[in-house]
Amino acid sequence: MKQTAESIRDRFMKLGIDVPVEDIESRLDELIKKFKVPSNEAQRSVTNYFLKKYSIPKNEFYVRQAEPQLTKVADITENGQWANLKAKVVQLWENTHESISQVGLLGDETGIIKFTIWKNAELPPLEQGESYLLRSVVVGEYNERFQVQVNKNSSIEKLSEPVEVGGGDFTPAAREAELRNIVDLVGNQWATVRGKVVQLWENSHESIEQAGLIGDETGVIKFTNWASSELPDMEEGKSYMLKNVVVSEWNGKAQVQLNKSSSIETLDEDIEVRTSVFTYVGAMIDIQTGSGLIKRCPECKRALVKGACAEHGKVKGEYDLRIKAVLDSGTSTQDALINRELTEELAGISLDSAIAMAADALDPGVVLDKLKHELVGKYYTVSGHKLDRYILVDSITPMASLDRELLDEMLAELEVE
Amino acid sequence: MAGFFREVSRRVFAQELKDSNLTSRDESDQYAPQYLLTPTGAKVNRIFIVGTLIEKEDIGTDSEYWRGRVSDPTGSFLIYAGQYQPEAAQFLAECELPAFVAVIGKTSTYTTDDGNVLTSIRPESVQQVDELTRNLWVLDTAKQTLERIRAVEAQEDANSKLAKEHYSTDIEIYREMVRKAIESLKDNV
Repeated sequence: MKQTAESIRDRFMKLGIDVPVEDIESRLDELIKKFKVPSNEAQRSVTNYFLKKYSIPKNEFYVRQAEPQLTKVADITENGQWANLKAKVVQLWENTHESISQVGLLGDETGIIKFTIWKNAELPPLEQGESYLLRSVVVGEYNERFQVQVNKNSSIEKLSEPVEVGGGDFTPAAREAELRNIVDLVGNQWATVRGKVVQLWENSHESIEQAGLIGDETGVIKFTNWASSELPDMEEGKSYMLKNVVVSEWNGKAQVQLNKSSSIETLDEDIEVRTSVFTYVGAMIDIQTGSGLIKRCPECKRALVKGACAEHGKVKGEYDLRIKAVLDSGTSTQDALINRELTEELAGISLDSAIAMAADALDPGVVLDKLKHELVGKYYTVSGHKLDRYILVDSITPMASLDRELLDEMLAELEVE
Repeated sequence: MAGFFREVSRRVFAQELKDSNLTSRDESDQYAPQYLLTPTGAKVNRIFIVGTLIEKEDIGTDSEYWRGRVSDPTGSFLIYAGQYQPEAAQFLAECELPAFVAVIGKTSTYTTDDGNVLTSIRPESVQQVDELTRNLWVLDTAKQTLERIRAVEAQEDANSKLAKEHYSTDIEIYREMVRKAIESLKDNV
């Protein structure tokens, strides 16, 4: 303990402050012996106490400590490690959170690493392509990858001499060439994709410019174009080249996201999409709650629960009709989402008459009952794109006649023996 | 995905369901579903039937408890709906006989004092349907029953093996049942 106290004293001496060693010792003693604090924690706590007492900014103190060693990107191997880096800003990314000031990639001759500058670090913004000395950054780990975090104890100094950046997949030039088939896309990579917009969805969130499905000869994938990407809108049925999109994975499914570093080029050709239209034949055996006459949030179109939107709280909802149906073939089940247009056609009621029915009965549940009455127990063929456990139904047809061929075939088989 | 999955509703003719008496359930889990294994190896928890509602009776003493009899080409199913099946009970209370109905429900069994196993259906939903739907169901059920008969013949999976072992299934009986069921459809096509 004596040693620890001495070393704390020495460090303060370097700043020109003479802290009585007995003071340090007695504080350490109390923490370690009386309060059973581990000695390294006690050391930190005591050090911080005196820093505060003498009004020494923490970062100044710790920077001086850490100054001598410079770490190379390739040597970042430990979560929680502090480091000083000389590196070039290879790329700045889309800022994804309000508490983040900047995020992107830093590189030196040994490698490239993701960095995050927190807003509360209150540091001037970095410029892409410039080199900096970053002091006292912390190594964090996310998704089994290291990244550096710049916080309020860190400092940044611009360097006049540029840092050489070693190659790697992340250099923009290397990325641009990676044109991939949609079926081959997996999470956590950058890619360039060419495909046709198969479907555009109702926009579910203000931070999303467009979302939908894009497909090529090999498959179909969900895409999200964030509003902050400042990219133009795409049209349904047209083909595009999407450069530098991020492939991420959600619920085990790959999807592509367009951000500020992505680009969209309109193609003249009409890309043939491998049809992933899914067809299912079965009896409708249930219509689930949340079907019938529902209200949606006017802003994000989400269905309201008890008059409130999950995102926007209490809102004046807009009426809509839809069916969440369960179809069953006898060997499997399939959930299907049926939109207003098809619901109206199928059940022979319009949205207006549904609203009137509900008003009459003082209960929107009568619409659900009517739908069940009309549809449950009957056989249908539905087709549409598959999303998670649902088919987004494009067409639904009641089965109109017996399959004569099947009947004859079965009779023949049964008669023979 | 989470542990939840929806039980598929099986297609079984009345005659075959009536012949069934082998139930199974994972005893270690009180919420485990109960299954009824039929002679052709259908492992039934949920069932979907379409037939003609030919009888109904309120057999409840204090509160309404409805029993309905639904016939198909091979026999009839009994369905029971009380206060815990309000939609189905309401339907049975209000409907007129006879009527084509589609019933989705869970099978349940009752063992009598002399050891007979009676099968019935606790409906989740009963809806009136048209004759076409009834015919589609007969064809659908015939097709799926025939597939199970083939599986029992070939002894290709655990359910068909167990069914054969327990019932000593005479497949000719069930082939004849299927044949009779679809014979009646010929004129309707």
